[in-house]
Amino acid sequence: MEHQPAYRSNGREVALLTQPHTIAAAATPPGRGGIGIVRISGQQVAQIAHGLLGELPAPRRAHLAEFRDAAGAPIDRGLALFFPGPNSYTGEDTLELQGHGGVAVMNALLARVFELGARRAQPGEFTQRAYLNGKLDLAQAEAVADLIDASSSSAARAALRSLEGEFSRRVHELVEALTQLRVHVEAAIDFPEEEIDFLADTALHARAAEVSESLAALLREARQGRVLTEGLTVVIAGAPNAGKSTLLNRLAGYDAAIVTDVPGTTRDLLRERLDIDGLPLHVIDTAGLRESHDPIEREGMRRATEAMARADRVLLLMDATAADRKRNLAAQLARLPAGVPVTLVFNKMDCAGAKPPSVPDTSGAVASQMAISALTGEGIEALRQHLKECAGYSGAEAGTLSARARHVEALLRVQEQIDQARQQLEQRRAGELMAEHLKRAQEALGEITGEVHSDELLGRIFSSFCIGK
Amino acid sequence: MRFGTTFDVIVIGGGHAGTEAALAAARAGASTLLLTQSIEQVGAMSCNPAVGGIGKGHLVREIDALGGVMARATDRAGIQFRTLNASKGPAVRATRAQADRRLYRQAIRGVLENQPGLQLFQQEAADLLIEGDRVRGVVTLTGVRIEARTVVLTVGTFLGGRIHVGLDNYAGGRAGDPPSNRLAEKLRERMPRVGRLKTGTPPRIDGRSIDYDGLVAQYSDDPRPVFSFLGRHNEHPKQIPCHITHTNERTHELISEASDRSPMFTGQINGVGPRYCPSVEDKVRRFADRSSHQVFIEPEGLDTHEVYPNGISTSLPFDVQVAFVRTIRGFENAHITRPGYAIEYDYFDPRDLRPSLQTRAVAGLYFAGQINGTTGYEEAAAQGLVAGLNAAREAAQLDPWLPARSGSYIGVLIDDLVTRGTSEPYRMFTSRAEHRLVLREDNADTRLTPLGREFGLVDDERWRFFEAKQHAISSELERLSTTRIQPAQVPAEWSARVLQQPALARDCLAMELLKRPEVSHADLVELIGDAPDAGDDRIDAQLRRDIEVRARYSGYVERAEAEIDRARRNDTLPLPEDLDYRGLAGLSNEIRQKLHEQRPATLGQAARTPGVTPAAVSILLVHLKRRGALG
Repeated sequence: MEHQPAYRSNGREVALLTQPHTIAAAATPPGRGGIGIVRISGQQVAQIAHGLLGELPAPRRAHLAEFRDAAGAPIDRGLALFFPGPNSYTGEDTLELQGHGGVAVMNALLARVFELGARRAQPGEFTQRAYLNGKLDLAQAEAVADLIDASSSSAARAALRSLEGEFSRRVHELVEALTQLRVHVEAAIDFPEEEIDFLADTALHARAAEVSESLAALLREARQGRVLTEGLTVVIAGAPNAGKSTLLNRLAGYDAAIVTDVPGTTRDLLRERLDIDGLPLHVIDTAGLRESHDPIEREGMRRATEAMARADRVLLLMDATAADRKRNLAAQLARLPAGVPVTLVFNKMDCAGAKPPSVPDTSGAVASQMAISALTGEGIEALRQHLKECAGYSGAEAGTLSARARHVEALLRVQEQIDQARQQLEQRRAGELMAEHLKRAQEALGEITGEVHSDELLGRIFSSFCIGK
Repeated sequence: MRFGTTFDVIVIGGGHAGTEAALAAARAGASTLLLTQSIEQVGAMSCNPAVGGIGKGHLVREIDALGGVMARATDRAGIQFRTLNASKGPAVRATRAQADRRLYRQAIRGVLENQPGLQLFQQEAADLLIEGDRVRGVVTLTGVRIEARTVVLTVGTFLGGRIHVGLDNYAGGRAGDPPSNRLAEKLRERMPRVGRLKTGTPPRIDGRSIDYDGLVAQYSDDPRPVFSFLGRHNEHPKQIPCHITHTNERTHELISEASDRSPMFTGQINGVGPRYCPSVEDKVRRFADRSSHQVFIEPEGLDTHEVYPNGISTSLPFDVQVAFVRTIRGFENAHITRPGYAIEYDYFDPRDLRPSLQTRAVAGLYFAGQINGTTGYEEAAAQGLVAGLNAAREAAQLDPWLPARSGSYIGVLIDDLVTRGTSEPYRMFTSRAEHRLVLREDNADTRLTPLGREFGLVDDERWRFFEAKQHAISSELERLSTTRIQPAQVPAEWSARVLQQPALARDCLAMELLKRPEVSHADLVELIGDAPDAGDDRIDAQLRRDIEVRARYSGYVERAEAEIDRARRNDTLPLPEDLDYRGLAGLSNEIRQKLHEQRPATLGQAARTPGVTPAAVSILLVHLKRRGALG
C-alpha cells in the first residue's frame, strides 16, 4: 500500500510496515448484552467483506447486512462499516461488524472471519498498528508499550487459567505424545546410520493414529461447549468476618454459604457459578486470611492463596467499620499473591456512615476501590458492572473466554496438520513431509503450551536412542 | 622483526575453517596471509576421514555453491561415496564420502598454493597486535610482526588444549602438535566468557591385523554421487569399501570394569562432550540395556593400512583399549597403531560474536570453527568461509554478508551460535532448520551461487556452468508445463508399469503427471521425448533431480517461501548498537537484561533470543518507531 511509510536500508526502500497478516478481534466484552462488535484490520479486509457480506460496503457508511457462513447461511444480521486506510484507526483498511453480541454468535462470527484469512489479534495489536502507521502521537510510545505489556501479561494469565484441570492434563498429554512422535521421525531422518529407521515401522503408524484419536476426542468435547463456557474467576478475600460469605450470597441471590458472626466459619473454598448478564462468573469464597494454628483452617488458607494466584480478579473485602484500616490493609495485601488485579471493596457501609472511608494505597497493588453493603445490597449493582468491565479488559482479547477460543482454534490447526502427516506417511511414505506437518502441528500446539525448540527435540533423541558413530 | 607487507586479512590456522577463510578472503580480492604451525598439516582431517552426512553434506554443498574448496577436494580424495536417506525424500538426502587423508590434504594444498592473492607462512601465532579495541596484526613465536587490517582466528582445539589417555594427561593441540597457550591467555583477557569442551578419537588400527571375513562390507552407492556441483566421476580415485562390525557383551564388561580408570568418570575431564558422538565408555554406561554397538571400519586411505574404527572413541588407558578392541569381531588380533584419546579445549561463547563472526570485543578480529564451540569439518569450513569473506569485505569497507536462516544451513549455523550459544560441541542436523524442504543439497547453487558471484567468490567456470544449468532447467520446466499428454498417447504397458493403472484417466500436463509420486522424469521422457541435450552430462543429471524435486514439493515450497518473506521483515530491521535496553518501558527486567547482554543485530535476532516474548518484540518495534529508526 503506497501510504505505508517506507524504511531505507542500504539504499533500498522497503515498505516495512505493511503488516503481512490481517487481524481480527471482538471489540466488545463477551456477554449477552446489547451489541457485539468485531473489528478487522489489514490488507485482506476487502476479500473478507466479500466472503462475509457478499460485497465491500461503501466507505464510512453504515451498511445493514447479513453476516454469512461458508455455506451462505446467516450467522447474524447487523451493521457493517468499512474504513479504507489510511483514514482508519489503525491506518490500514478496517471493517467493523456490529452484531447482536452473545458468546456463541460472536465466536461463530470470528471463526468465519478467521476462515476467510484473518488471524486473531494479539493483545494491543490494533493500537500498535495505529501507532506504527503514525495514527497516534509519537510521544505515546511508552503508553503503547505499557499497554502491550499489560494486556499481553493479562492474556498470559488468562491462558494459564484456561489451561486448568482436565483440559490442561489432556493438552499436556497431547504435547507429550506429539513430541514422542516427532522424536522418532526426526531421529530416523537425522540419524539414518543408527539402525533406528522408524519410518519403515508400523508402530509409527499406530502412534500417529493414537495422537489423532485423543486430539479428536478433546476437540469433540470442546465443541460441545464444555471448555468454552468457563467465564471470569473472581476470588473473594479478606480478613475473617469481613463479610465475604454474605457478599457471595448476595451476588448469588441465595444462601450459598453459611454465615455466622464467628470468625473462621468458612474453612474451605466455596465455589459458586453465577451469571451476570450472560457473563459466566466463578466466584470463590475463601477462608479469611489470618494467623491460625488450626490445621484445617491453615489448609483452607493455603487453598485460598492458590485460588487467588489463578484468579482474574480478587475482591479484597474490608470492614469499613474496623479500626486501624491502614495497617490492616497492608497486612492483607501482603498475603495476596503478586500480580493479581485487586479491587478493594469496603463492606458494611450501612454501619459506617455516609462517606466511604479512604485508605491511601501506597503499594500500588490495588487497581480500583468500591464501597458496598453486602447485607443491604447497597453498591452491589455497581460491583456487578465493575466485574463485567474487568472481564472485558482491553477489548475482550485478554479474557479467559478468548484464551479458550484461541486454544480450540490452535487444536483445530493441530488436527489438520496431524491428518496430513498421517496421509503423507501412509499414502506416499514421505517421511520428510510427515515430519514437516508434525512440525507445524507442534508449532500450533506451541501457541498453547509454549514452543518446543529443536534443541529440546534433539536432547530427547539423544537420551532415548544411543546415537554416535 | 617486521614483515614487509600489510595484509588485508591474516588467517591463523590451516584446518578446515582456516583454509576456507583464506580462500574466500583471497577470492573476494583481499591480500591474504595464511599463518599455520605446519604447512604439511594444512587440510588435515584430525578426526575421522569422512566428509558430509545429514546436515553436514548440506553445508558442504552450500560451501561449494559459494566457491569453497571442501566439496571439490572431497571429489578428488573420496574413496567411498554414499547418499544417505536415499529412501526418504530429496530434502533430507545427503552426500557422505570417506576420504583418503593424504589425497585430501594434497587437493587442499594445491588449491591454496594456486590461489592468487594468497600466501602461506609457517609460524606459530603467539600474540595479537591490538590497538585500542582494534586488531592490527599478529606476532609469531619467533617475534615476527605481521600487520593486517583484519585477522581471522581458526585455531581449533589448540587453545588451552589438554590430551587425556587414561589418567595421564598433557598439554597438546592434537596428538603430536603443541597447543597455543599464549594466544589463549591473551584472548581470555578480552573475552572472559570462555567454556571448556571435549572431543575424542578411537584407537587407530593396522588393517593387516584385522580379519574382514564375515564382516559386512559397505561399498559406494550406485549411482555414485559426486560432491561438488562441478564434480565428475572421473575425478574420483579408486573406490574401496568400509566394513561394519559390532561391540559385544564382553567388550562392554571390560569397559565397565575399567570405569575407575576413565578420566571421563573420575572427574579429570570437565569439558562437555557431544551427546551425538559419545565415547564408547559413555555409550556402555548410558545405554546399559544395549548389548552391542555398531563400529564402522573406515579406511584412512588408499596407500596406508591404517583404519579408523568409528564408534569406539575412548579416553581409557591404553591397556584397556587393547583388551576391549580385541574382543570385537574381526579385531581379535588387532594391532593398535595410535591410542585413542580425549582432548579438552577452550571455546569462546559465540554469543560474544556479531552475526558477521566478528568479535564484539575486538574490531577486525573474526573467529571461526571449534573456537566458537562447534564440532565437525563442515561446520568449521562454513564459518571459515563467512569469516574470511567478511574480513575481506571489512578490509574493503564493504558491508558484511549476514546469511539468513531461511537461505542456508550456513545461516542456521551462525544464527544458532550467535543467538543461542551452545553448551556442547555444536553439530548441524536438518531438524535445526525451520525450512528443511527449501534448504536442500540439490538447490544449494540456486540459493547461493548468484550471491557468491556478487561477492567475487565464484569463478567464471562455475558461473558459466551455473547459468547453463539454470537455462536448461527453465526450458525444461517450460516444456513440461506446456506439454499436454492425451490418454491415447500413453501405451497400456507404460500405464500398468508406472501408474499401476490400465490407462491414464484423462489428459493432463506433463508437469501435473510428474507431481504423482510414482512418476519419475525418466518415465515422462519415455512419453514425450528427452529435453534438448545441454552438452554437459553433469547438467543432465542435476536437471532431472531438480525437476523431480520441484514437482514433489510443489505447494510446500511456495508456502515456506511465503513464510520466509513474512519473517524477512524482522531480519532486515537492524537494532541500533547504542539502544539502551535497560531504559525501555514495557519490557520485563529479565528481558531487558537478556537483550542488554545479547545486543541483537536485528529485530529478528532479538525475537529468536531465548526468553524474549512476541509481546516484547512488539514493544521493541514501538520504541524503534519512536527513535525514528523506522523512517
